[in-house]
Amino acid sequence: MGFLSIVMLVAAYFYLSHRQHVKNPDDTTIPSLSQLKDGIRKITTPNRRSKEIWLLEDLKATGMRLALGLSVGIIFGVILGLVMGCFAAGEALLFFLMSFASKLNPMAMLAVFFVMVGTDMEMYVAMIAFGVLPTFAQTIHLAAKYDVAEELIHKAYTLGATHVEVILSVILRQILPRILDSIRLQIGPALVYLIAAEMAVGHVGFGYRIRIEYRILNMNVVYPYIVTLALFGYAADYGLRLIQRRLFPWYGR
Amino acid sequence: MPEIVLECQGVIHHFGQSRILHDINLRVVKGEIVSLVGPSGCGKSTLLRAILGTHPPREGEILVNGIPTRGPGRDRGIVYQRYSLFPFLTAQQNVALGLLFDQSSLVDRFIKYFVWRKARKKQLEEAAVVLQKLGLEHALHLYPHEMSGGMCQRVAIAQAIIMKPQILLLDEPFGALDEATREELQKMLLTFYAENVAAVSNGGQPPYTIILVTHELNEAIYVADRVVALSQYWDWRGKGFESFPGATIVYDQMAPAFAPTDEIDHAQFLEQRTEIRTAAFDPNYRQERDQFNKFWGQVQGKGEGVLKR
Repeated sequence: MGFLSIVMLVAAYFYLSHRQHVKNPDDTTIPSLSQLKDGIRKITTPNRRSKEIWLLEDLKATGMRLALGLSVGIIFGVILGLVMGCFAAGEALLFFLMSFASKLNPMAMLAVFFVMVGTDMEMYVAMIAFGVLPTFAQTIHLAAKYDVAEELIHKAYTLGATHVEVILSVILRQILPRILDSIRLQIGPALVYLIAAEMAVGHVGFGYRIRIEYRILNMNVVYPYIVTLALFGYAADYGLRLIQRRLFPWYGR
Repeated sequence: MPEIVLECQGVIHHFGQSRILHDINLRVVKGEIVSLVGPSGCGKSTLLRAILGTHPPREGEILVNGIPTRGPGRDRGIVYQRYSLFPFLTAQQNVALGLLFDQSSLVDRFIKYFVWRKARKKQLEEAAVVLQKLGLEHALHLYPHEMSGGMCQRVAIAQAIIMKPQILLLDEPFGALDEATREELQKMLLTFYAENVAAVSNGGQPPYTIILVTHELNEAIYVADRVVALSQYWDWRGKGFESFPGATIVYDQMAPAFAPTDEIDHAQFLEQRTEIRTAAFDPNYRQERDQFNKFWGQVQGKGEGVLKR
């Protein structure tokens, strides 16, 4: 059924494209199959002037920014979440800050990052990290505090565990699959922040290319980029689900 | 004189205005299996948690081998009715977890990784031996969600006893199990008791001291060599209290010691069961609180099993 819905979507697209081209044979807003082929060829073969393959260059730039930004956000989010979930003082200190920070829109903070760290890699990393960290920390906080039964923590102490061992070997291990769930959920927002930032200030990357091409109505380039982005997000999500199933067969049972 | 492993001295516990335990004095001999019974809400589990250290007494003291307890520790093992195992570990890993914590530090596991791997292999082998002893050799690599309730409780008991705690606390461990599984696990406790008796007769130290909280009187009498009942129904007004000061021990007597191979006939428990019901469960019977506390008098000269010393 899932496949059928995709087929229906593609069919609807080509029907609209056909109607548009009957009205205006030079239309580029809803490209025909041959126009799309031209667009795909353009982004997958070396450019005449720069000799670069656009899709590859943009994929590298966007992928690197996303990976670094998410990594920083996740690492600090896990640390802060555990501090909040495992220590009353940590919760008292950080709870309000994280709640407040999670309401700040990272796009609105773009100017701040721009001024503070410039427009290079650091800005994208800072923006993604800032965007995902508070929500991520809050999720970890709640998981660390409520997902692990108090009885198991007491039991760990009777087995000779230290406080640090309880946090790392019991609490963290039990909430690891929840962390993967949160990462999956954060990929979407992280991509939104990144593409928006690339559209605003980028010189390479998916957001930059989409901005440049839609200005000249090269939708036969824009649509393949959008589909690639969706496939990239889906593949990341699927990969994480696969990892979760392989590494944590006990989760959700 | 038998060796006292656990001593509760004048333990009082309350949650705000709600009085739970009053003046609990209990001494447990090494190698005993003590059943703790009483009506709902009498504070059995609170006393167990006080001994465990998660709910320390408001007044009084709890000593294990003469040392006051401060929070949960390595000298007391616990098996709960629920949440008995770590869901992310297999049966074997669950049992070996205590050895991991006990025999290596977190830093060692990183810095001396290869040395630790070798030690870890031995720990897992040791866990496998214990599981084999409890009839779970086929379940080594199963996760808790893949095992039955009875298997989980066996693994939980294995997890606790591999650490050789001074005292093992069982909080209604068989409460959620079917009759047949419950009987199997009761026999397992009797096997532990038989090992205790054998160790004492050979002049050694009994390996298992157990406190079992249960609401099943037949079970309490069958698996333990001593039954202690807590109750809120005692003559506290006669002791000069104007308001309820909390439940206290109203029954403390020896129970017949059984071998795992003995046939169970619940009829033979009738007399003791009736006495416990009268002492602890009858709200109209407000007794003098020490009327049924005869354990230490019974032990003098005629103790059975591990108490025959």
